[in-house]
Amino acid sequence: MLIVLLILLPLICAGLIVFNPKGQAKYIATGATLVSVVIGAIALIQFDFSQAALDQMVVKAPWVPALGLELSLAVDSVSLLLIALTVLLGPICVIGSFTAVKHDVKTYYAWLLVLQSAMIGVFAARDLVLFYICFEFTLIPMYILISLYGSANRKKAATKFFLYTFTGSVIALAGFVYVVWFHASLEGNSWTFDLAALGESARMMEPAQQGWILLALLSGFAVKVPLFPVHTWLPLAHTEAPTAGSVILAGVLLKLGTYGIYKFALPYAPEAVVEYAPLIGVLSVVGIVYAGLICWVQTDVKKLVAYSSVSHLGFCVLGLVAINSVGVAGSVMYMISHGFSTGALFLMIGMMYERYHTRSMREVGGLGSTMPVWSSFMVFFVMASVGLPGLNGFVSEIMCLMGTFQSYGWTGEGGAHPGGTLGVLGPWFAFFAGTGMIVAAMYLLIMTGKMVWGKYREPEGHHEHDELPTDLNAREIGLLIPLAAGCLIFGLYPKPLLNAIEAPVNETVAYYEGLVPVPELEAGMTTVANEGDHDTEHGEGDH
Amino acid sequence: MPDLVVSTLAQADFPEVMHAITLYHYLLVSAVMFCLGLIGFVTRRNLIIMFLCTELMFQAAGIALIAFGRFYLDYTGQVFVIFVLTVAAAEAALALALVVLLFRRKESLDGTAWAVLKG
Amino acid sequence: MLTDVMNSLPMLTLAAADGAKGSGPLIESWAAAPGWVLLIPLLPLLAAVLNVGCAIAGVKTKLPAVITIVSLAAAFVLTALAYLSFSGETRIVTGWSWFDLSWGDGPGQSMKADFGFYIDNLSLLWMLFVTGLATLIATYASEYMEHDVGQGYNRFFFAFALFVFSMSCLVLGDNLLMLYLGWEGVGLCSYLLIGYFYKKPEAVAAAKKAFIVNRIGDLGLAIGVFLTFVHFGTLEYAELFSSEQLAGYIDAVKAGNAGDVPLMAQLIPVFLMIGAFGKSAQFPLYVWLPDAMEGPTPVSALIHAATMVTAGVYLIARFYPVFLVSEWALPVVAWIGAFTAFLAATIGMAQFDIKRIMAYSTVSQLGYMFAGLALLSSTGGVFHVLTHAFFKALLFLCCGAVMHGFAGQLDLRKLSGLWSQPGWRVVSVGMLIGCINLAGVPFTAGYFSKDMILAEAFVTQGPGYGLIGWLLLLTAGMTAYYTFRVFFRVFVGPVRYEPGDDDHGSSDHDHEHDQSDAHGHDGHAHTDHAQHPFHPHPPRLAINGVLATLSVLAVLAAGLYFVTPENKGWVGSMLKDSTAAQVYFDGESDHPTRAGLFLIDGDAHHRDHAHADDHADHGEHAAHGSFLGFDPHKVMYYVSAIVGAIGIGFAAWAHGPRGAVSGFLGDRTEAATSRMDAVARSFGPIPKWAEHKWYVDEFYHFLFRAPLWVLSHIFHAIDKLLVDGLVNLIGYVPRAFGRLAQPGQSGVLHGYALSMAGGVAVILLVVMMVAG
Repeated sequence: MLIVLLILLPLICAGLIVFNPKGQAKYIATGATLVSVVIGAIALIQFDFSQAALDQMVVKAPWVPALGLELSLAVDSVSLLLIALTVLLGPICVIGSFTAVKHDVKTYYAWLLVLQSAMIGVFAARDLVLFYICFEFTLIPMYILISLYGSANRKKAATKFFLYTFTGSVIALAGFVYVVWFHASLEGNSWTFDLAALGESARMMEPAQQGWILLALLSGFAVKVPLFPVHTWLPLAHTEAPTAGSVILAGVLLKLGTYGIYKFALPYAPEAVVEYAPLIGVLSVVGIVYAGLICWVQTDVKKLVAYSSVSHLGFCVLGLVAINSVGVAGSVMYMISHGFSTGALFLMIGMMYERYHTRSMREVGGLGSTMPVWSSFMVFFVMASVGLPGLNGFVSEIMCLMGTFQSYGWTGEGGAHPGGTLGVLGPWFAFFAGTGMIVAAMYLLIMTGKMVWGKYREPEGHHEHDELPTDLNAREIGLLIPLAAGCLIFGLYPKPLLNAIEAPVNETVAYYEGLVPVPELEAGMTTVANEGDHDTEHGEGDH
Repeated sequence: MPDLVVSTLAQADFPEVMHAITLYHYLLVSAVMFCLGLIGFVTRRNLIIMFLCTELMFQAAGIALIAFGRFYLDYTGQVFVIFVLTVAAAEAALALALVVLLFRRKESLDGTAWAVLKG
Repeated sequence: MLTDVMNSLPMLTLAAADGAKGSGPLIESWAAAPGWVLLIPLLPLLAAVLNVGCAIAGVKTKLPAVITIVSLAAAFVLTALAYLSFSGETRIVTGWSWFDLSWGDGPGQSMKADFGFYIDNLSLLWMLFVTGLATLIATYASEYMEHDVGQGYNRFFFAFALFVFSMSCLVLGDNLLMLYLGWEGVGLCSYLLIGYFYKKPEAVAAAKKAFIVNRIGDLGLAIGVFLTFVHFGTLEYAELFSSEQLAGYIDAVKAGNAGDVPLMAQLIPVFLMIGAFGKSAQFPLYVWLPDAMEGPTPVSALIHAATMVTAGVYLIARFYPVFLVSEWALPVVAWIGAFTAFLAATIGMAQFDIKRIMAYSTVSQLGYMFAGLALLSSTGGVFHVLTHAFFKALLFLCCGAVMHGFAGQLDLRKLSGLWSQPGWRVVSVGMLIGCINLAGVPFTAGYFSKDMILAEAFVTQGPGYGLIGWLLLLTAGMTAYYTFRVFFRVFVGPVRYEPGDDDHGSSDHDHEHDQSDAHGHDGHAHTDHAQHPFHPHPPRLAINGVLATLSVLAVLAAGLYFVTPENKGWVGSMLKDSTAAQVYFDGESDHPTRAGLFLIDGDAHHRDHAHADDHADHGEHAAHGSFLGFDPHKVMYYVSAIVGAIGIGFAAWAHGPRGAVSGFLGDRTEAATSRMDAVARSFGPIPKWAEHKWYVDEFYHFLFRAPLWVLSHIFHAIDKLLVDGLVNLIGYVPRAFGRLAQPGQSGVLHGYALSMAGGVAVILLVVMMVAG
């Protein structure tokens, strides 16, 4: 019931906002999101993490029984954690918009709440049609937020965002329909849209069929991630979106793509994933480096962070296609931690923008001397984003890279490789993705060098904001502290998260047992079975 | 399927003289009415006339429906026509109101004055 | 007797008869350490947190310094206590579980890394001097940074304490990820502290450069970590060093079957050392360190001379067994180290900024340490780390005192005769002690530690190791020269000085209080200077006290050489109980082992040059390296002393002042000029090139940065035009179709009606034709 409550509460409050005077809109929205946080916390407490891979808190209601449609909601630990991230970002977005949004406030907060419902629906849905409806429905609130409250080029950005991602997901829909049809034909025309049941059937497809399914699903989800080369809507949308829009976009909406890959592509088309993983891996790695280098030459600080999202999400996808536990777990961690650090960066840029009305690093900079609090947080979140150990970015990044590195036919190398797993990526992928870490340090530190350090620069004709002090006020600091605390806690003590996602991740990876090719052994090489009954002494044996 | 041209609507309850009037005749009337309505609609510019022409076409369709209904001894056709008539009455009220509004905008009943949908 | 000592070594000890038989894992067992050991890293962390609190509370006193000093001193005491309690043992204490993910029950099927600490003699040795020096330097900084009391002061001590925490994690961490945490953590603190004067563009650029160059090394380290995990299935030191697998490799190498060690295992050290090269500023990644001198001097002393930059040496020492089984790793390290030592020395000879000279000297000495480890003298390498930490910190702090007192002046052409100025005697004596150590004057600590490395270069056989020996010897002479060049120019001779750029403070103390006047600081400085005559202000109690203490420690460090001489000093005795113990490979088999690295000889104990005299039979050492026919261990004492004397003598001739101190040798009467000017002119453009650091920075700029920059712009253009253009093109296609159908849409009602009727007619016609 908690999940239903989490979905309905924002919707109801959105309705309340519409029928109440506009002065109250922000308070209703704040209340709704804060209550959601409480509900989310209760859900986290009630969830039985010892059964993390099982769907819990199941809610099922008949919808269109004739077609097998069901209003089916449930969460496993991965879904629940992503929901928790969503509800946590909710009040931050709402409260962060208090001074930034001046016109049509009722529309704004109402749609923000609707968006939250839709996102939670995506993570909780266990019925394909319900999932797809929620997935697509996230577009509408976001479209409205960008096109009404964005900056100069907002109409174009909103249209592009909508059409681009919509086109992708329509193709994904075709894939879904095929899976459903396949299932029905297997089961003698009994229709169902239950995710787990569909997965069972989908795995029975021929490799070629799975290939098409993977292609269809990827065209929906890769656009959303966004994976190179279908990323160009993101920088535009991010740059033009209002601050809260950017935070949600980076924090949660992009994760719908990676979550989709994790929840659908990996379990539905394992054979195809094994076959195409190198290709996807190459795209991810290219995206990491390519977007990273593009960040370097940006002068618009928001665009820089937007491109950095493209770069970072490359690690996430890379971890997923490594299809081993470390990689996939790292990727899930990445989904959560990226929401914190990049969300916070967008929030901070928004705070700066409210005061200086420019995003150009040529016009504004050296804020270390005038805005020490802002600058301290900025350096902190930049470090989280760079992947400094001890902060959240590191945990996920190193695991994604480690997973990629492990994902190779290590058993064929000769000698013992107990830490290696079977897979189709390998060291080279990890190495080239790793150069992304260097590039990330380059562009983020250059950004810090311009924005935080150096001599103070302000745009011409700058004057102090009417309501806001020069440096951050208590409200803004209050928004950043939970995010900073999250970065620190997940960086220093990720164990609870890792334990929580271990079981579902291992379950996903288990679909790949026996599918990954074992490399042929060279003559004279001793082998070590991946299952772990190897003998370490074999490595330096008799030559 | 009975031959439409030679078959009549003749039934036991029809007077003898009427037996010569076949389904064909009804359909002919219907077609003529429809064509008149269509031609009127296409050639006339006055919005009210055009609207009357559409009514004409409506009624032509109604005649055809009733004739077929009688021919097959099925009341669905008649029921449908009654239904359509009701809707058409409501429609007429709405349409005339729209015409009045359009007239107020341009002080003219010329249908060609409105070409907002031009691509 | 020596054989007994050898046999008592816990690892890699090979009785000749043992031959190819396995000698077991490197460590057999370990115990849990008591919880208070956790306080060693956590106390500095607590100080950092409290300093953040000070910043939030807006403290405008020296409170942060007090917090930092007290906590660091406590950490030092605890470290000493740990040393007294568990020296020679392996102890592990776990704070909390950090990474924990498993996907099976077999070995290697879980990724585990605790926030835990590994205590053995190697980490204790490092922690002793890290915490000790940090305490001293924090004391120094409490006075040095006093111009910035307020936010800047809080920020400084926050980063300072955080640095010590990170360094503790690096050194004490019980797994590779903890090492990585410390590794990048010290990088962050280095970044924050180099960029301390964040309004100076040079400082910001230097900080950025340091972080990015280090990141390149970090990537190498990360890959080393991955390889280790994949190959050994663990990230924890205890499991790694107790693994049969590693023990087996060592046995294989000892048995002359080096080829049996899998390629993977051989690659691990290759990647680890890339990380070490980055952090320890070795060629080709050394370029960040000299620029890092933009930071406040205490930072240069602690981070960029004594502790952080030795992290690479620690890494190699920690993974010494892993390095030993690789065919290429140690020779590469040796060559890189020797080349770096030489290159940096050539640059150091031509610099005029004394802090930069010291920076290049640090790079050069780090090269010695790497070479020492790589030449199989782990004791020599680590001993040099220790002695260098003391005397180099001392040298830097002296430079800092000068800079502090002369308004940021560091140019040796503008300073002269500090010895004779009132209030500068402690600094001058400290500088002299530092200089004789660095120059390797006999019976100083630096002399003994450097000798160990030099001698080993001629003993150990490997690819071109003899040449490395000569290179290092030449570098030793150059070191002596540039060291005393500074001393003769700045501290003796006629009293002359010009103040530096910022006369109302020192250039270090760029304005927290100067916020209203963010622009044109320099301009003000000069007008101030014009109005008030400049008076240098000599250091006060805290600085002088720390300098005196460090001077004493630097002198006393020589004594460590004589503690337990059978182990070549205290450092050797520490290392022998750790996995970094000096290795004695046995040559029972006749195969020349890999690349000739491991000396093949019937007997191993000749390597102990401290007791070379114990050697009975010299005849059997024909195969063993020699120095011009003599035993390197003995003759090196004299040779290095002579080389050092030549260097100092040349410095005295070229830069020594006319008058009392250097007697007839010198001829310098001015601050700005010396005999060297004429000598340098005769070398043509070479000194100029050296002064410009052989244009390495420019070379990198053109080789890497510029092409990448261009590439980025190209990518940006591609992204806008091609990738996005394609998308827009796809968006354009439906629109184009729409344009085609556009004329049909007249907007007139009659047209629509006609086309509708026509359409119906056509459909009817088709239906009739089909039906008919």
